[in-house]
Amino acid sequence: MNPKDLASYATNTWCPGCGNFSILSAIRSVLAQLDQEGYPVEDVVLVSGIGCHAKIVDYLNVNSFYSIHGRTLPVATGIKLANPDLKVICFSGDGDSLAEGLDHLIFAAKRNIDVTLILHDNRVYGLTTGQFTPTSPPGFKGKSTPLGTEELPMNPPELMLASGATYIARGYTHGIDLLQKLFKEAILHQGFSFVDVLQVCVTFFNLYESYNQRTYEVKDNDTSSFDEALKIARSWNYDDHEARIPLGKFYQVDAPTFDRTFPGFEIRDVDRDSRIKEVLEGLI
Amino acid sequence: MPAQLVAGNSAVIIGAMYAGCDCFFGYPITPASEILHEASRFFPRAGRKFVQAESEEAAINMVYGAAGAGHRVLAASSGPGMSLKQEGISYIAGAELPCVIVDICRAGPGLGNIGPEQSDYNQAVKSGGHGCYNSIVLAPNSVQEMCDFTMKAFDLAFKYRNPAIVLADGVLGHMVEPLNFPEEAVVPNIDTSWAVSGNSATRHNLVTSIDLDFEEMEKHNLKLQAKYDRIKQNETAWTGYRLEDAEIVLVSYGISSRIARSAVDRARREGMKAGLFRPLTLFPFPEAGIRELSEKGCRFISVEMSNGMMREDVRRAAGTEDVGLVARYGGNLIRMDQIMDKIREVA
Repeated sequence: MNPKDLASYATNTWCPGCGNFSILSAIRSVLAQLDQEGYPVEDVVLVSGIGCHAKIVDYLNVNSFYSIHGRTLPVATGIKLANPDLKVICFSGDGDSLAEGLDHLIFAAKRNIDVTLILHDNRVYGLTTGQFTPTSPPGFKGKSTPLGTEELPMNPPELMLASGATYIARGYTHGIDLLQKLFKEAILHQGFSFVDVLQVCVTFFNLYESYNQRTYEVKDNDTSSFDEALKIARSWNYDDHEARIPLGKFYQVDAPTFDRTFPGFEIRDVDRDSRIKEVLEGLI
Repeated sequence: MPAQLVAGNSAVIIGAMYAGCDCFFGYPITPASEILHEASRFFPRAGRKFVQAESEEAAINMVYGAAGAGHRVLAASSGPGMSLKQEGISYIAGAELPCVIVDICRAGPGLGNIGPEQSDYNQAVKSGGHGCYNSIVLAPNSVQEMCDFTMKAFDLAFKYRNPAIVLADGVLGHMVEPLNFPEEAVVPNIDTSWAVSGNSATRHNLVTSIDLDFEEMEKHNLKLQAKYDRIKQNETAWTGYRLEDAEIVLVSYGISSRIARSAVDRARREGMKAGLFRPLTLFPFPEAGIRELSEKGCRFISVEMSNGMMREDVRRAAGTEDVGLVARYGGNLIRMDQIMDKIREVA
């Protein structure tokens, strides 16, 4: 399959220069590759939340579910439990998953459900035209913070590590090769995989210059080490304008996944009618 | 000060500041975000509290907390956010606390779009949360009223210790008109008879909506209903236009009522005796006014940007199923010719 086959007819309404184009291009290539490697695109479901990021499902000719603000992961969880054979990939924003839907993000990691979350982390509410989000740096002047926000930002990879996610990585929308590598790894990972993508919003928070100077790819790190991953995650806290920003895979471990261990999984191929009778008769 | 050109969403914050509003808790949502922006601009400078919360639920629960402390609190949102706030509104109503919530309604269902609609009618007027409660609902139709009704909402919320909703829409929120600023600013006092201020004077006060004793909870419910009856008796408000000899009465609120008013004039020019009945309060709904006109033999047409939600109330008040409907929803305003066609059909 050619990545072009995954393009849809929808008119793209992202701003010129938006980082979302890189995410779109990377995921298209990865899905096309996976299709050739035995993971047919028919078995993939994309789920998005609400925000600029969410339009990505309109631009991909793949089964998709345009969900509710903040509720990407509950919808994805439902899809995965209903049909564990599907590859479920979520696209979400920092406002979507870290503000309105933070509880769902933590619980998806805690359960280690086998879905992938790609976080379009532009650190600003773009669709509602420029308010601060949980990852905006202190002092950020947006439409609802004319004097600059005083809140300290959240560190999503650190949060995911603490919550039990089993694959954690960070990418940047200038650097499509790395994005493709991380997306592919994350999708093939068994368990909850989280990719924080520094996605630049050119209109409301243009960080290209800063990121170009400060990002670097971590190499030779022990990705099975919680402590090392934590150290890498904490080396940049989304607040310090001087610190270098690590990209790449921070953490990956094997652990039982919710969709394989939740009650009932083992019997899903059993004749359910006879099982109901058996259970009910046992009650009497 | 001469009248200033102001947008509806800004007028809400001006009204709130004059009403002595202390706290604003919001979350970004189009087309209500400008209320959040204006609050962030003005509240901190005037020594008042402003928080952009982490979610709509967080915002309404911050409202619950500050209201419990006896402060004048404002929240604003739009359809999807209002749906999320319903749990909190029910708790606030149950605990009998005052607060004001401005709903800049957009098109639904689901995400819908950011065009104007009046489809939050049911979730505002019929109380979208759980339990038997009502919010007071005011329906402005101009920038001036966006300001004035926000002030009025604070008065009523505190008079009855009840949530009050200002129900507007995307057009009212964004349109710019001259605004005469309020003449006097309210300087609120904390009412120590019910508020919880963390001091000895309010130590005996308890803010709660739970009562595990069925008999006591029943009594509390009856007390709430008695309060809603008092609100119905005392606070129902509406205004009429060319109703004196009207035979066909358009019932319409908010932005739709301005189009309906123009339709009344056009119908009159064509020789049809049309008039406009405009509810200013949707809860309480001005039933008596409509009933009186119905008894005089008037025929009614509900003009609304929703699928007949208000028509149900008009039918009930008029005592007849025979109420016409001119409706448009999905993000567009009602067209004048839609109303004219219906008037000609009824006439």
